[in-house]
Amino acid sequence: MDEIAFLSRKILDLNKQLIESEKAKSRFLSLIASELNNPMTTLLGMIPHLAPPRGDSHEAIFELIHEEALLLDSRIQNLLAASEIEGGKLHITYALIDPKVLLEEAMKGFKYRIKAKNITITVESSLRDPIVSDPKKLYLILKNVLANACDYGIANGVVSVNIAQSGSFIIVAIKNQGYKPNVEYKTQLFTRFAHGPEGAHGLGLGLSIARELCELLDGSIDYDADDTTVTFTIILPFNTMPPDSKAFGSNEFLFEPFDDAIEL
Amino acid sequence: MIQGSSTFIHVGQIHVDTSPFAISTILGSCVAVCLYDRTLGIGGMNHYLLPFWNGNGLQSPKFGNISIPKLIESMLSRGASIKTIEAKIFGGASMNITATETMMIGQKNILVAKEILNEYKIAIVAEDVGGQNGRKIQFDIERGKVLLKYTSRSDCEIGR
Repeated sequence: MDEIAFLSRKILDLNKQLIESEKAKSRFLSLIASELNNPMTTLLGMIPHLAPPRGDSHEAIFELIHEEALLLDSRIQNLLAASEIEGGKLHITYALIDPKVLLEEAMKGFKYRIKAKNITITVESSLRDPIVSDPKKLYLILKNVLANACDYGIANGVVSVNIAQSGSFIIVAIKNQGYKPNVEYKTQLFTRFAHGPEGAHGLGLGLSIARELCELLDGSIDYDADDTTVTFTIILPFNTMPPDSKAFGSNEFLFEPFDDAIEL
Repeated sequence: MIQGSSTFIHVGQIHVDTSPFAISTILGSCVAVCLYDRTLGIGGMNHYLLPFWNGNGLQSPKFGNISIPKLIESMLSRGASIKTIEAKIFGGASMNITATETMMIGQKNILVAKEILNEYKIAIVAEDVGGQNGRKIQFDIERGKVLLKYTSRSDCEIGR
């Protein structure tokens, strides 16, 4: 026990230097994220109004601008999410949701990339009813994993999404055709600023956010790969409680008295 | 009876509020640090899963050495003073008997809380840590008191 205590102190000390060096970076990211968010919202709201008629010579330019704006927005949203996670400020709000609707919404964010790579996305769901979860967080999880599948999936390929209930869990499997992620250990893939084989896509924040948010929702995320496909599996608890936002998650406390509790 | 509203915090969350307010959580091997500034009636609680951030992934407050300094900073930014803050720590149970020898997550979680609080010169005025039972706690910021109940094993699944 003494040795553990000694070693733990040592780690704590070393870790402090590491945290200090990362602190400036984190603070900077959270600052720029909120500074960028407002103008971005305006841009995204206005750009669609400038859409030229079909066949117009400016259509390609418009699509490029819209695509880049959407991409920039999802990066900013990820930076914001990362700084919220790091700040411990995420609160869970439960609501009734249909994951299929969230997926369709998420796809809109990179419809041009899907078109350019000619990727076919299929969504199958065997869920009969809507599920209870946090819509904003689940949206961000799905968007990031789906974006990853489209980025690393082969051109003209298929990305298939399967949503099913298994016991007390909801399982979302997102499968793309492509190569195995080029990492030594699985956890590396969910690490911030980790790069894929070609290091070409994004900041590597997406999957680390997906993992953090899954854990926050008491779920998990993992992936499996064979020679031709990569499948990311998101496992979330299947909540059956009525989505009363106040009572859910805290109901145990609301209804169980602390009468005979110890007071410290 | 708790006055005012209350909130429940999960792993990786930090909540700081002013009286009257109550913060509650469920703990297994996780640890929650409750800080209280008696003079201003400001209180805060965190809930962390693991002792150390390892330099990978986000600097999430699910790690003790990220979460505790953040909790202290949030208290200070609300106007609390280090001199008048006192701490109470809970949790750090050994949930999995077979893993205790190698992992000792609970013990390390407790240690990290004590080390960091000591470093900030914040006195620990009460604690209920270790053991093999999960805990449900409710921190009443109005009175600066924490109500504690031990949980059955099945409940601990939620608290990790």
